Amino acid sequence: MHVIAGNIFAITDAQGDIEPDPQLPVGLFAYDTRFLSHWVLRIDGERTNALSRDDLTYFETRFFLVPGTASHYIDADVSIIRHRSVHDCFHENITVLNHSSQPAEYTVRLEMASDFTDIVEVGQVRQRAVEVAADPARQQLVLRYQRERFIRETTVCSTVPADVDEQGMTFRIRIPPEGRWETDLHVTVTMGGEEGRDLRADLQSHQHALRTGMDEDLSRWLDRAPQLVAERAGLEELYQGSLADLAALRYQPFSYRERVPIGGLPWAMGLFGRDSIITCLQTMAFTPELAPSTLRMLALVQGGQLDDWLEEEPGKILAHLRYGETGAFRERTSALYYGAADTTPLFVVLLDEYERWSGDADLVRELRHPARMALDWIDEYGDLTGDGYVRYQRRNERYGAVNQSWKNSPDAIVDAHGRQPAFPRATCELQGYAYDAKRRGARLAREFWGDLAYADRLEREAAALKERFNRDFWLPHRGYYALALDPYGEPVDALASNMGHLLWSGIVADDRAEAVAEHLVGPRLFSGWGVRTFATGQRTYNPVGAHLGAVWPSDNAVIAAGLRRYRLDAQAARIAAGVFDMTLTLGGEVPEVIAGYERSLTTYPVQLATSCRPQAWSSGSLLMLLATVLGLRPTGDNLLVDPAVPEGFGRLELLDIPGRWGHSDAYARDRSTERRHRLR
Amino acid sequence: MGATAEQYLRQLDTGRRPDLPETTAGTLRLDVRDDGSTDHWYLTIADQHVQVTRSAEDAELVVRADRAVFDRAVFDRMVRGELHPGAGLLRNEVTVHGNVQLLMLLRRIFSGPDGARHPRELGRAALAGRTAPAGGAVSAGRAVTTARGGRP
Repeated sequence: MHVIAGNIFAITDAQGDIEPDPQLPVGLFAYDTRFLSHWVLRIDGERTNALSRDDLTYFETRFFLVPGTASHYIDADVSIIRHRSVHDCFHENITVLNHSSQPAEYTVRLEMASDFTDIVEVGQVRQRAVEVAADPARQQLVLRYQRERFIRETTVCSTVPADVDEQGMTFRIRIPPEGRWETDLHVTVTMGGEEGRDLRADLQSHQHALRTGMDEDLSRWLDRAPQLVAERAGLEELYQGSLADLAALRYQPFSYRERVPIGGLPWAMGLFGRDSIITCLQTMAFTPELAPSTLRMLALVQGGQLDDWLEEEPGKILAHLRYGETGAFRERTSALYYGAADTTPLFVVLLDEYERWSGDADLVRELRHPARMALDWIDEYGDLTGDGYVRYQRRNERYGAVNQSWKNSPDAIVDAHGRQPAFPRATCELQGYAYDAKRRGARLAREFWGDLAYADRLEREAAALKERFNRDFWLPHRGYYALALDPYGEPVDALASNMGHLLWSGIVADDRAEAVAEHLVGPRLFSGWGVRTFATGQRTYNPVGAHLGAVWPSDNAVIAAGLRRYRLDAQAARIAAGVFDMTLTLGGEVPEVIAGYERSLTTYPVQLATSCRPQAWSSGSLLMLLATVLGLRPTGDNLLVDPAVPEGFGRLELLDIPGRWGHSDAYARDRSTERRHRLR
Repeated sequence: MGATAEQYLRQLDTGRRPDLPETTAGTLRLDVRDDGSTDHWYLTIADQHVQVTRSAEDAELVVRADRAVFDRAVFDRMVRGELHPGAGLLRNEVTVHGNVQLLMLLRRIFSGPDGARHPRELGRAALAGRTAPAGGAVSAGRAVTTARGGRP
């Protein structure tokens, strides 16, 4: 059970209670810190049992409760409603209803505590000395953690009188027959700044924040997005749900005045460069407002120095931003971390793509310098061995990411026999991103920066990269591209989904695209629900290995877009249909990742134990797939619509697509309905 | 031991700084507090140049810190690249008022940390030591296994 408002969120059990779990991030979290680790309601000493729950929106939930547990049911003349919401703080209204014809007395108790754990340390024991101050006069309890000058504080305040002690609040209440009693509990979180004020209070970026209602904010967000009219059952709801997920997964960083997309619940509730950029690219036709704020924010924190611990280099685009204690004190991680080889070229890709859709030339001029630094990074810092390929090798040998592209688990990059290549590694998709960044950078230089010589240079470099890549990465006997090159130029011969990204980037030679596509939708990679990260029949294939066999909607959306770029429409439609089937079979909630089992074997998408939702790039992937089957593409000042809709979808309309054309509509049908219409 | 903040700011290069965006301009005041007295350094940033003066005038961003927190000199560590301005803010060793977007410029105006390696050094080392075993290092930096393996 969760409520979310950007990076402030609460995860509780079915009753709305919070009790520490050794593995899961249960509690109230804000800015990567747990502000409540214990929050348990009791009536006359009894825990409660949930009859039902009403998730009103992503930020608001109601629990309907009775005292006792399911196995130990107590005759209920009393019931309880917990109505909670989260925005910049956490609110809970507790209403106790007396259903009897007699007045009743109850002791309502709410237990409260916090361990102030940094979310990256959940599951590890670190005892923090938490000061507790009960203030009965003001009906509030203050929990406070201080380390040197780092202060995190939780304040719980009741609107009605309470007996406040160091473990919580007690309400001794008397309710008339058929009557009710209620209190509002407000939980505020403070990150200590100067003189005990919240540090956000002194930031201009946070003084302009509009304190408008969350409801209006959500309905405006939904109103601004195009309207989907779909004949296929469940699709419209899926679309609305994905939009709502994306609304939930936005937050305002300290240093910036607008909201940017965050990774997802629960481990990535902050700015992650890769997730944010990919999400913006996926949602360009739907929620383009995410892109300029993401670009500006990433430009603001672009790398400026060489730093081994942060894995920072001048021009490099951020991997993640963390606000917790371990980042602040350089333990386990750093507040700003740059260990990613894909974010920097993708930043340039996003800037160009956004201009193509929006026509926002001013932004391209405003961000010329960071874009140029990002392009320079590709050759100066991204090319580690001087062979013209983007590579990575971590310099933070303690905590740095071993693999620094989207498949970032330590064992993700292996050959067909399971051997790991040496570092630095050049994975194939990084070369695609670099190629695309140079081509797009050339367009920006020519059309907006007035630097024709630089544009020519980038185009020459891109052409040379494509030629070199198609020579060095192509495995002629296998008919596909190598997953990576080791530092000595030897190919890593695994068959993996990465080459789908190559189609998306356009680096694939035209006469090889079909061979690549046949592998992507062939039996070793395609499970029926989507393209596996890693093909079957290879030594380390594992259907429940996140990057060694599992299926990610976010990966598949990029691959389907790549297939359409090369006019491989049937293959793209197959992947799109698989992912839509997967999500609809799961009741309309798009998973982060499912197991790579054959669809015919399980007939149900098996979710990985580690799969979490909502995730921005998973929800975004459904929008990207919609744009892909509709074939939406800006051409000049117009929106081109070139549909290739999977069989069985029937009619598909997307109305009021925003862009440089104002608003435009897209209409499509699948081929079976087209035939039906022709026969008539 | 590198320069102190005072030495660094006194000797700050007044030439063009190509790593600053040409579109960024602003004023920053650094307040170094020490036993009741405060040293003010006033930075004017425009056209990829930084001018340093001693002035207590209002600035778009005021960055304040005690000379030392728990015997660790705050601005000295910052000019040497040992304390990232963002981390200083999170640790509450540095406080800021005003336009915090300007804070990140300090990362570029100040030096990077000593001993940091250019990524090519790692590439050269790999090519030189061709016989070295393949890297199979496992990240130890995560508390919980998530679907996204390498997320630290």
